[in-house]
Amino acid sequence: MTTGHHTPWPVDQARIDRNWRAITIELDSPRPGRIERLLRAIGFPAHITRLMVATPALRRAWFLATGLAILVGLGATDAGAPRDQLFVLLLIAPLVPVLGVSMAYGVEADPAHEMAVAAPIRGLRLILTRAAVVLACSSGLLGLAGLAAPGRTLMAFAWLLPSVGLTAVTVALMSMLSPRRAAAVVMVTWTVGVLMVRGGAEDPLRAFTLGGQLVMAALAVLALVIAVVRRDRFDRLSVSS
Amino acid sequence: MNPAEVLAFGVTRSFGPHEALRGVDLALQGGLITLLGPNGSGKTTLMRCLATVTAPDGGSILIDGLDGRHESDRIEIRRRLGYQPQEPGMSRSSTVFDLLDYLAVLKGHTDDRARRHGVHAALERVGLGDRLRDRVGDLSGGMRQRLALAQATFGSPTLLLLDEPAAGLDPDERFRLREIVAERRHAATVIVSTHLTDEAAVGDRVLVLLDGRLRYVGSPDSLARTAAGRTWIQEVPPGPVRASWRLADGRYRCLGQPPPGVTPVAPTLEDGYLLLTAEHGTDPDLG
Repeated sequence: MTTGHHTPWPVDQARIDRNWRAITIELDSPRPGRIERLLRAIGFPAHITRLMVATPALRRAWFLATGLAILVGLGATDAGAPRDQLFVLLLIAPLVPVLGVSMAYGVEADPAHEMAVAAPIRGLRLILTRAAVVLACSSGLLGLAGLAAPGRTLMAFAWLLPSVGLTAVTVALMSMLSPRRAAAVVMVTWTVGVLMVRGGAEDPLRAFTLGGQLVMAALAVLALVIAVVRRDRFDRLSVSS
Repeated sequence: MNPAEVLAFGVTRSFGPHEALRGVDLALQGGLITLLGPNGSGKTTLMRCLATVTAPDGGSILIDGLDGRHESDRIEIRRRLGYQPQEPGMSRSSTVFDLLDYLAVLKGHTDDRARRHGVHAALERVGLGDRLRDRVGDLSGGMRQRLALAQATFGSPTLLLLDEPAAGLDPDERFRLREIVAERRHAATVIVSTHLTDEAAVGDRVLVLLDGRLRYVGSPDSLARTAAGRTWIQEVPPGPVRASWRLADGRYRCLGQPPPGVTPVAPTLEDGYLLLTAEHGTDPDLG
């Protein structure tokens, strides 16, 4: 409405009201949390950071991945670590993102899961976004720890491909099992498999040599293909919850 | 956009040996439709199938001609959908604003400024405009239901599915809910599931679901009229009748074939519903 009753110039009251409302909304809207602000500062768009850390359980997945990565990384920086100690690092490090991913999706991670499933976002995309965050977080810290390790060799980074492979397998299994069960299956299978390879070999790190790395790379690709083929299952309540 | 057209043909869904839906057919567009049925009748399963979060075992559901079995159609249906589940889980430590903002992102509202404005508007619509910074855990049950309604109505959906939204609400809250839903009935096809007949009475149409089958589709008045001439009140406990219950004044309201000499009374929607449930061998849950 335009009125000029009390001023010598026309006043667009509706426009003033609109602008005032826009200002109050900006002022009233709560600031995002510290982690979210940090992610935005790094360069992630605001709506993506919301998907990453929206619920406490998702933030716990982050913290868990970060905390475990720091602990495992501290072991890697031990200059006098014999190969047996490195073996323990390589055995445990790939399980960190698996645990994190299992805590980042499903009804246990997000009580609003049923409403999330009904939203027009592909479930697989949501899982992969969160998996990438957890993986990047844990791998980044482990990578820094590996770089800081005196007398490091390439073997200090041999957890990287297994981390990607096991995370991909966990996501694929989540199209059949609940996230927690999928993670449990992957963790047990990985631990038993690596221990069996070690039992039959002179070199305790045999599972992490080039052959083992290629197997993990192939597994990662296969698992992602399976996840894409079965992506419909992430869009329904019965399986994904 | 117009209210969504909802078509269902022979929809079935089982959970193990339990058949939750046994061939449901529907044709709806616009207005407020209440889905009435006793606990365990399949209401939630039908709502979930319509919301595309559960896939039917058999039959098909088309929303505006889109088939939820196909991924691209399913995403398009969900763009038009507002859905409030029976148990709208919410992170109790999240703030009201953050939770709704997160769900709005999931709904595809990626423009930050527009989304913030949308969140404020949605919360004001349900009377939570001054609770932005409150923790969800600090809200009353009624407020949490309203928050769930705010997320369902966010973005002006043309299909609004509300599964037992009045559960746990006091009379004032229910009245407010009815007002909010009534505002949407012209712009959307609104389906509200309930087991309360007074909630069903305010709808344009009533669907009665019994043991996984739709047993009635029509207006609330028509459902009441199905009990015309078969509802009466008497002083003494009745013999075998379809259903009866004791009134506050000590008399008995009875449904079925009235005995000679009894004058039938005007039936209510509840009478029609209870008679229908009794005739189909379903526990009318009079307690």
